Amino acid sequence: MALNPMEQFAIKPLIPLHIGGYDVSFTNQSLLMVIVVVAAGLFLSLAVKPGKLVPGRGQSMAEMSYEFVANMIHSATGEDGLRFFPLVFSLFIFVLFSNFFGMIPGSYTVTSQIMVTFALASLVILTVIVTGFVKHGIGFLKLFVPHAPLPLLFLLVPIEVISFLTRPISLSVRLFANMLAGHTMLAVFAGFVIALGGAGGVLSLLSIAPMALIVGILLLELLVAFLQAYVFAILTCIYLNEALHLHDQH
Amino acid sequence: MAEVTHEGTGAPEHGAGFPPFKTETFPGQIFWLAITFAFLFVMLWRVAGPRIKGAIHIRREAINGDIRAAEAARAESQAAGAAYQNALATARKKAQALAEETRVALNAEIATGKADAEAEAGRLTAAADARINESRAAARGHVKGAAEAAAIAIVAKLTGETVSAADAAAALEKA
Repeated sequence: MALNPMEQFAIKPLIPLHIGGYDVSFTNQSLLMVIVVVAAGLFLSLAVKPGKLVPGRGQSMAEMSYEFVANMIHSATGEDGLRFFPLVFSLFIFVLFSNFFGMIPGSYTVTSQIMVTFALASLVILTVIVTGFVKHGIGFLKLFVPHAPLPLLFLLVPIEVISFLTRPISLSVRLFANMLAGHTMLAVFAGFVIALGGAGGVLSLLSIAPMALIVGILLLELLVAFLQAYVFAILTCIYLNEALHLHDQH
Repeated sequence: MAEVTHEGTGAPEHGAGFPPFKTETFPGQIFWLAITFAFLFVMLWRVAGPRIKGAIHIRREAINGDIRAAEAARAESQAAGAAYQNALATARKKAQALAEETRVALNAEIATGKADAEAEAGRLTAAADARINESRAAARGHVKGAAEAAAIAIVAKLTGETVSAADAAAALEKA
């Protein structure tokens, strides 16, 4: 019995499709992305009935997530950051739903692919750069010049530039690595359960230990699933705040 | 997710290597991510966001409206209470004035009646006194006459002299 913990991350084409020489087949990952956005879009749209004064469970959750993100943006970037609400809300919901749908056994974790997280992070950084230059013009480059004595600037400016350039990498790798590591760990322990269970005798009884661990890790992963969506969204807000207000505190 | 497969390492073209670093899947991933994320973005931006915002706004308005109505009602009830207190105070003042007036009028009436009664009593007393004095004078006159007659009779019996009535009267006056 082959138990490759990386197997779960394999992308398998379901409907082959080629456009312009590129392989854009509809895969198990594409399927999950479609499920995620349809589920999230429909849930957030249909759970809410305007004019319903006492919200039901679904509406409460939708309103809570809305206000959660709105408050996050407001506290991190101030009033003028709220124009980025649709973007931050979409990122948060996409990552959150992807992470949670990935927790369903047999499904696929969209955010365990570095390409997906890197694409989302690039979208954030591009938005930051465009916003910064539109709002401040060339003055946006002052972002790389902190308030410090001149000799120190020779050291600080390269550090600031490097730290800015590594943002898309850190933002994407953080999410990707968290999801990958958690799911790999679950698969490894699941492999232990099967290996021990199949060994027979006393060893079969021992398989309870990794099973218990799986339960614990699973709960932890549920927390991580939310936390990483939150981290992704709040970092987006923080980067947008810098683009809007440079180093000044709003 | 603990997915354990029983079919080995998957399809041959995807089985080997670390799946997230397989560059041949990148175009497809970006393609489908772009489509799905764009769909989600438009959905949340145009449909879900406004709906949720509207729902929250309507509720907030309703709550604020209710609070405003409650405050208005409270102010109204307070005004009504103040008006009631005012009316009560006015009525009490009026009642006190009325009572005072009545008391004064009654006192005046009583005083008049008393004065009338006293005057009547005085008149009656005076009349009675006059009558008593009259009777007394009359009685005294009778007593004097009798005394004169007795004195004349006594003098006549003792001395055999006849005393005139006038002398007897003068003598009685001296005694």
